[in-house]
Amino acid sequence: MAKFVTIGERIHCISPSIRKAMETRDPEPILKRAKEQIAAGATYLDVNIGPAENDGEELMKWAVQLIQSECDNVPLALDTANKKAIEAGISVYNRSKGKPIVNSADAGGRIENIDLAAANDAIVIALCSAEGIAADNDERMMHCQNMLERGLMLGMEAEDLWFDPLFLVVKGMQDKQMQVLEAIKMFSDMGLNSTGGLSNNSNGMPKHIRPIMDSALVAMAMMNGLTSAIVNPCDLRLMETIKSCDIFKNNTLYADSYLEI
Amino acid sequence: MPFNHKPQKFNASINTVEIGCGDKAITLGGEKTFPFYTFDAPLENAPKIGVEISDMGLEGAPAGVVAYYGEGASYAEMAKKAAAMEGADFVCLKLEGGDPNGENKSIDELIEVVKEVGEAIDVPLVVEGCKNVEKDSELLPKVAEALQGKNVLILSAREENYKAVGASAGLAYQQKVGAESAVDINLAKQLNVVTTQLGVAPKSIVMNVGSAAVGYGFEYVVSTMDRIKAAALSQGDAMLQMPIITPVADECWSVKEAMASEADMPAWGPAEERGIKMEIATAAAVLASGSDAVLLKHPQSVATISKMIKELA
Repeated sequence: MAKFVTIGERIHCISPSIRKAMETRDPEPILKRAKEQIAAGATYLDVNIGPAENDGEELMKWAVQLIQSECDNVPLALDTANKKAIEAGISVYNRSKGKPIVNSADAGGRIENIDLAAANDAIVIALCSAEGIAADNDERMMHCQNMLERGLMLGMEAEDLWFDPLFLVVKGMQDKQMQVLEAIKMFSDMGLNSTGGLSNNSNGMPKHIRPIMDSALVAMAMMNGLTSAIVNPCDLRLMETIKSCDIFKNNTLYADSYLEI
Repeated sequence: MPFNHKPQKFNASINTVEIGCGDKAITLGGEKTFPFYTFDAPLENAPKIGVEISDMGLEGAPAGVVAYYGEGASYAEMAKKAAAMEGADFVCLKLEGGDPNGENKSIDELIEVVKEVGEAIDVPLVVEGCKNVEKDSELLPKVAEALQGKNVLILSAREENYKAVGASAGLAYQQKVGAESAVDINLAKQLNVVTTQLGVAPKSIVMNVGSAAVGYGFEYVVSTMDRIKAAALSQGDAMLQMPIITPVADECWSVKEAMASEADMPAWGPAEERGIKMEIATAAAVLASGSDAVLLKHPQSVATISKMIKELA
């Protein structure tokens, strides 16, 4: 089995310094976060430019070229509601370290992002919800099937659809957590790849608690076959947990220095 | 239904490591498939054969080996003949006389041999220490220094002395470093990690993951090599993508099948023939398990294994 894929989430326009850097096209803050995340062990980096309705195409191109040229063509997940911006980003994307990821499609209004990924030989994150959170796993798996069939009809390989069960916040939806884990198991049993915004589970919790909750959840999710997650790679406890789980799953060969590589 | 051949493709390959200089330089590794799976992709660089000579001359050598080099041959003469052997790609000089529990030759004396051999040949050279960790920590840096500019492979850095050997051979003198472990897959990876952390480039490292003569726990050797190649190719593990070199002669000529005399074991036939068979069988098996180079001794083994590689590659 392949190593767990971490997608670093820290280049996000919700952060004031990143938003400002994107507005003013200031490379420094963006490259700093890119390099920090790579050093911490991220495989992919997510580039979230927000809705970017006005200058999204130009902004995404700038960000993709900036990060890839300065960071040895690190593979990227292009994250925006602006479809044209994703296409523009892919047009300048260097594939030598991995295909671009379209973040994201769902089974509702954003289903056409699967078409976009298919047309551009990209990976797509397929969120198993349509209008609002799926009520149960019957609904999640129905969305999964629909999106899978759509991708396959368009000539995609199944492995390029990464299904996102939608991780739910514990504070408020504690009773749904096992359902999410069961959905991951079902994806895995079908041989499908999966990912998601794992740290959503610990939203609203004290800062010192979050790495503990995130680490416990990633271990349980990896046990159930989760193949990737969108995470903060600078969370040392979480990354150590992922590396350790990769050892238990025989995804990487053990060496005494495994935490350092 | 007709057979539909679907090549097994990996997004990773074994590193290429060049040894030697000029026209005669050789490249180890580079493969993108399991050993000899030429139906999946053409082999980048066929496995290479090194011919072993020793600072102990022909002491204890089988008659066929003595006959090949000629009694009383100098180190330079032996090196030239080894380089010219049919099927040879490079020469490996073993400094076994340095062992404090054996001849305990001085480092200066051994370096003279190293220089004589280095000057005699233009094919790539591999130098193997005396296997004593403390002595090799002093000896091998001197060897790396004496052969500066010749791009030789130094065997070996081990868990106990990788700092001394790695820093001198791999950093100070820009030679290639052999990382040696004894059929211990986790240690094989760990040595590559720590040697790389010293600053030695991954593409300057060749692994000796250990061997055994066939019949002497050889299945552990096979499973170790299999797992390493699987991690390197299918898991893209950069810390196991170093090519593998396997000293075969060492293991084979010291087991009873090769050593017991015909007088003691009349049913077994001539001792030398048995030794050759052990050497050929072991070399063929480690190559089929993923070795990128083997070290052999007998001209007949070298010719046979060379033919095998040509026909499979």
